[in-house]
Amino acid sequence: MARRIHILPDAVANQIAAGEVVERPASVVKELVENALDARATRVEIAVERGGKRRIRVSDDGVGMGREDSLLCLDRHATSKISHAEDLKGIRTFGFRGEAVPSIAAVSRLTMETHDADDEVGTRIVMDGGRIAAVDDFPRQRGTTMEIRNLFFNAPARAKFLKSVSAETRAISEVVTSLALANPRVGFSLTSDDRVLLDLAPAADAGGRVAQIWGGKDAGSLVSVTGEAGGMEIEGLVQRPDAAQPGLRRAHLFVNGRPFRSANLIRAAERGYRTTIPHGARPWIFLYVRVPGGEVDVNVHPAKAEVRFRDDSRVEELVETAIRAALDHEASAATFDSSPRGPSHPMAVREPPPREAPEAQMALFTSSMEGSPSGDAGVAPLPVVEAPRPRLWQVLNTYILAETRDGILIVDQHSAHERVLFQRLMDAYEAGGQTGQRLLFPLTMRLTQAEYRQVEELGGLLGRAGFEVEGFGGDTVIVHAVPNPHPYFDAERAFREMIDELTHGSELVRSAKNQHERIAMTFACKGAIKAGQRLSPREMQELFDELFATELPHHDVHGRPTIVRLSAAELERKFGR
Amino acid sequence: MNFTITRQNLHAGLAAVSASIPSKTTLPVLSNILFEARDDSVWMNGTDLDVAVRIKVPADVKEAGSLTAPGKKLQEITRELPDAPVEVATRGDQIELSCGRSRFKLNGLPADEFPTLPSISFDDAWTVKGKDLHSLIHHTSFAVSTEESRPILNGVLWELRDGAMRMVATNGHRLARMSIPAQSSDVPSADFIVPPAALQQVQRLFKDDDTLEVSRDGNHLGFRSGSAEIFTRLIEGTYPNYEQVIPKDNDKKAIVSKKLLESAVRRMAVVASDQTHRIRLTFEDGRVHLSVLTPDLGEGHDELELDYAGEALEIGFNANYLLEVLKYMPTEEVCIAFKAPERAATIEPVASGGDAMDLLCLVMPLRLLD
Ligand SMILES: Nc1ncnc2c1ncn2[C@@H]1O[C@H](COP(=O)(O)OP(=O)(O)OP(=O)(O)O)[C@@H](O)[C@H]1O
Ligand SMILES: [Mg+2]
Repeated sequence: MARRIHILPDAVANQIAAGEVVERPASVVKELVENALDARATRVEIAVERGGKRRIRVSDDGVGMGREDSLLCLDRHATSKISHAEDLKGIRTFGFRGEAVPSIAAVSRLTMETHDADDEVGTRIVMDGGRIAAVDDFPRQRGTTMEIRNLFFNAPARAKFLKSVSAETRAISEVVTSLALANPRVGFSLTSDDRVLLDLAPAADAGGRVAQIWGGKDAGSLVSVTGEAGGMEIEGLVQRPDAAQPGLRRAHLFVNGRPFRSANLIRAAERGYRTTIPHGARPWIFLYVRVPGGEVDVNVHPAKAEVRFRDDSRVEELVETAIRAALDHEASAATFDSSPRGPSHPMAVREPPPREAPEAQMALFTSSMEGSPSGDAGVAPLPVVEAPRPRLWQVLNTYILAETRDGILIVDQHSAHERVLFQRLMDAYEAGGQTGQRLLFPLTMRLTQAEYRQVEELGGLLGRAGFEVEGFGGDTVIVHAVPNPHPYFDAERAFREMIDELTHGSELVRSAKNQHERIAMTFACKGAIKAGQRLSPREMQELFDELFATELPHHDVHGRPTIVRLSAAELERKFGR
Repeated sequence: MNFTITRQNLHAGLAAVSASIPSKTTLPVLSNILFEARDDSVWMNGTDLDVAVRIKVPADVKEAGSLTAPGKKLQEITRELPDAPVEVATRGDQIELSCGRSRFKLNGLPADEFPTLPSISFDDAWTVKGKDLHSLIHHTSFAVSTEESRPILNGVLWELRDGAMRMVATNGHRLARMSIPAQSSDVPSADFIVPPAALQQVQRLFKDDDTLEVSRDGNHLGFRSGSAEIFTRLIEGTYPNYEQVIPKDNDKKAIVSKKLLESAVRRMAVVASDQTHRIRLTFEDGRVHLSVLTPDLGEGHDELELDYAGEALEIGFNANYLLEVLKYMPTEEVCIAFKAPERAATIEPVASGGDAMDLLCLVMPLRLLD
């Protein structure tokens, strides 16, 4: 019988591999920039034409390749980055498969110019659809330039699936942005059809990089996150809740310097934000996770866009608690400052990076400043105010002013009390329930049918919130006992409004995780001291103290700030001191 | 207007009136005092639009007339003047004070800018003894509500009926009720809901042995004795039927020393939660056990001997409500009576001989969840 099975010629195999690795121009850019970063470049320049469909050019000032290496790298599974299976475990470089260059070469016209400083002269190789067309001596400074023309010229089926120039350009820009965030100390430039899209000088840290890309105002809306658990570490920047907007989200995740996607981790981050942002708000999230080699598998996705953690839930928990701890910190409160104290970290003491690892991937956070949040979620909030207790002033019967170590805090009494009541009821739920004051004159209330059903459904939980409700036939209920959160509490109105909101829904109600939270949130919102309520000095002090005893004192349950800071530095700026 | 007055009289009058004028106001004339000089006296008037106070002081009036002038400033000046006759005169809208060699001119406002005080005729007035009124106010007005959604409860109910006067106040969580036989036969049958601020002025301006005339005119109530008059707006509406919620069948009765109970409750309150102030009382044969348990803070226990023979009963209270009620109990021993842990407790004074005061306080319990 004739032999039917045969080994595919390299050219065909490479084309097939290209199908996985090279999906669109942005994937080419990603592979080439990653190679440049692996080669320890300090500056990477990217130029594309027509969304990369016509031309992609990536040049770096990295280690370059000698003549032999430059020919070798065109072969499949040719890599300088690993040699043994175990190497995959602790992998610190972007590349490890030795597939990217041959795959790209197979579906394009590729020109490579490269020079390793040890050689006398550089090399220039021209490829055409995977075949070597020319190899010449070529004078060049140390580093490598890869130019890709006519991507998919020999794979029309793939070319057809490319999107518009602007869509492809956007995808390229995303890829470069993400790698630029992963490597703040490396300079980047990206030009598209002669338009400069990004021009990033080396930055000191991730915060600096964010400021370069999106401007100081957005960077100023970020606070730093740090956390550590079981050998895993996390650092990063997340948006202050008051700055979080609905709509476009910037979320960038990195593990050991490598960008990756994970809907689950984003969700974990959002859990960290719970009760501090309105429903639908999308805070910006930049998180750099560092885990020991064995904890993460980066070889699970053809384009390396996803990774697999040995224990997802531990990473998710770390993300959630670290963000929560960051939001517990004063820096996450809203501010009047025009240039708020930038996000920064004390540099955690860490072992020196392994020698072969590109330096740029290690140093994410450099400048150090006091007052960064503790990563340990179990620790009480840093005291904002030093003893002796601050004097408090009530302004417009709505705000409370306090002096702090480094400026002024303005507390919104309603928002602040909302946070207090929310926390109080959530704690009470855990301990069994909240005490209800029995009423001399029980409240008789007519409800709509829907409201009545809602009350019936929530009966037990309302009871544990202190509302003792009894059905009275028809759609009427009698309330025998009510919580008594403060002397100005209007129980009847609060109960009515709560039931209305619980029945008909609202942003707030939708942002809650479960029924307990839903009730605690509406109770907090309807029961809190109102704006316009005059408070005695003692009442202000109590509110102030209680607020700072809550888990997230700087944010109310709607995602509005409870506190706005005005720093002494900003005052000095304003007065020109 | 021109009159001469002793410094003491001027100061006493100003001090009495200025307590009724608002410290912050959007209507500047309200921070002024209206002077009206005629015959052999000067009337000083102050108001915050809810309550008005008029004080008469003797003076040697040379020229009748009226003017308003800043109350606080006048009071402060008068306090510092030497003890000598003060001559007060108007010069246009200014008021001039001279005393010894001191001279002051203050800008005033014309009298017609001052709000017209309710004109209450005292023709049909009835009389009340200052002491009785004071006692009623003292023992009940503490219980009014501070919460503003039910304005009715922000006032004290004053009932005149069947030859008795009664005051009731409540915030829906605790209630105080006191009755006194009316001394005079001219007392009508009527209900008023009086703002506590007015009652405070009554306590301040009338003495125990004054005989007050009281009169209602439309929506206002007036009090007067020889030299002082108080007018107040009444709160409109129907007071809730409080009689109906006062339990008549509280059969578990404890007689206890007010002082001992007060101090034990106060000790418990230290550890009680800042919000609910909840403490727990367990009554058993011959004693009461007090306890408090506040998550995140700690706990406290105490015990008192008392006269109790009912079934054991455990009940929760807001310590502050208990303390307030006890504070206004006039006797050394009080009687606390219960029916059940979720029902109102009543607290009454226990008279030792003599005649008992008809005072009853009621405190609604807190639900105990555990
Ligand atoms: N810009 C560059 N500078 C220096 N060496 C390079 C550069 N690009 C590629 N190389 C060399 O070529 C080899 C092959 O590159 P290629 O991208 O195909 O594989 P890889 O990076 O090792 O793995 P992967 O397929 O996972 O990217 C690399 O291992 C590296 O030694
Ligand atoms: Mg590579």
